[in-house]
Amino acid sequence: MEAYLLNLVILISIYSILASTLNFIMGYAGIYSLAHAVFFGVGAYAGTFVATHFSASIFFTLPAAMIAGAVLSLILALPALRVRGEYFVAASLGLQVLAVTIFSEWKSVTGGIGGLIGIPPLDIAGFEVFKPNQFVFVTVVGLIIVLFIINRLVHSSFGRSLRAIRDSESAAAAFGKNVPLIKTISVVISSALTAVAGVMYASYLSFINVESFTLDTSVLIMAMVIIGGTGTQAGPIIGAALLLLLPSLISYLDFLPQTEIGSIQQIIYGLGMALLMIYRPGGIVGLKKQSGGGKK
Amino acid sequence: MVSSQVDTQEVLMEIRNVDRAFGGVKAVDNVSMDLRAGIITTLVGPNGAGKTTLFNLITGELSKDSGTIKWLGQPINRIKPFQAARAGILRTFQDLRLFNEMSVEDNILTSIEANSVPLPMAKSQRKARREKVEYALSRTGLIDKRHIRAKDLAYAERKFLSMARVMATDARLWLLDEPASGLDPNSYEKFLEILREEVKQGVTVCIIEHNLDIVIGISDRIAFLDRGKLLADDEPQTVLNDPDLRAIYFGERT
Repeated sequence: MEAYLLNLVILISIYSILASTLNFIMGYAGIYSLAHAVFFGVGAYAGTFVATHFSASIFFTLPAAMIAGAVLSLILALPALRVRGEYFVAASLGLQVLAVTIFSEWKSVTGGIGGLIGIPPLDIAGFEVFKPNQFVFVTVVGLIIVLFIINRLVHSSFGRSLRAIRDSESAAAAFGKNVPLIKTISVVISSALTAVAGVMYASYLSFINVESFTLDTSVLIMAMVIIGGTGTQAGPIIGAALLLLLPSLISYLDFLPQTEIGSIQQIIYGLGMALLMIYRPGGIVGLKKQSGGGKK
Repeated sequence: MVSSQVDTQEVLMEIRNVDRAFGGVKAVDNVSMDLRAGIITTLVGPNGAGKTTLFNLITGELSKDSGTIKWLGQPINRIKPFQAARAGILRTFQDLRLFNEMSVEDNILTSIEANSVPLPMAKSQRKARREKVEYALSRTGLIDKRHIRAKDLAYAERKFLSMARVMATDARLWLLDEPASGLDPNSYEKFLEILREEVKQGVTVCIIEHNLDIVIGISDRIAFLDRGKLLADDEPQTVLNDPDLRAIYFGERT
């Protein structure tokens, strides 16, 4: 039971990092990405590659993963952010599809469809983290650090620039903001931080394959952000916790036919999303904000 | 076309033979004019005369088909809007384009933060920014509304916030697109007072305005545009008393 709970907390922390980093570009800069799982995957593969070929120390795996995520995001952002917002969504979807193919085929790095096994545990200055009760500590601290960085950015002039761009790109430019550059920087920061979650995930499970980094994951992360509350800082964490806990909660309900649990889960998701859109379009945390906006 | 009247005032912006067509329609047709330091030049003309298009061409929002624009003696023909702003040319929008989800205070603060990279700021720099924001807030009467989101402001307050964003900056040239439209007499008196005060302090203004009372009240110079062509650029009295221009203005205005 304790192991089960620890596992949940670890996964919630990792997915909270994913949702928070997506929210950073979605909620503050108005950039909608369907490729978030790609950067999660790139972080996982790059961290694993360094850990198995070179050193498992996080002082090597984390920077390598972050650089890989940042560089790849530049390839997406440089062409796609010069044009209007809709194109970024399309371009990110394209990258997501392409990346899944590469993750499945580039066997020497990703292990192909079968994935990689025996990924070494995190090595923090010589201390190997492999027990769940140690790992939970690392992921929670990791989440706190990521949240702190995002919080500082959001409340700086950079964060104001992002929100200004989200609200009116032309006005932001008219006040001296280099819109494509600022957007690109925000995507690069977001992707680099996303890669951190990838490193944690890979060394926690000690096994990864392409299944974890598909479009489904990107959509799941986006759902976490929207359900929790886009543009709020607590929202993505609440969204991540809710969507990860829901399956376990449903399986505790004895009166449900256990053989049909999968489809019941889908029905509850669908119903929940529809109700949320009707009654709390700003997400769970975004409620207050939304009703305030309605008043004139 | 351009008045030959002697003027010793420094020319900040020199616009020469600027053209821009949309489809087959010439929105701005061979326009040449100067914007002189320390005065208010008013752009008048019927709707669709090309006034806003001219602003868009100056700031690089739109590209010119031909012609040149010089700013402080330097050509700025391929400038981008953010570069125009950093060079000291700021504009407002007819539809305001406030940062709606942000507070009044953040709207002004972000308007004077043009840096792209999130670097920490020196304390003195932060203080200077604060002071500029306070100045703009108090001059426009928005000081009590500082924490309210822009989209929750009343109409006149939104217009003043649009002005406050410009006032907080160090820009030398303000291009104001109908900043006083829809204001009640009290508000536009306040607006005129702010504008005169800022000009006295050295700002140069080019303003698009339809209300003749305001035009008469503030203009040092009037440029008259019609169907993309600059028909006059002269002293206010000369332009306003020209019977042909009056006919165009009142005849075509709906």
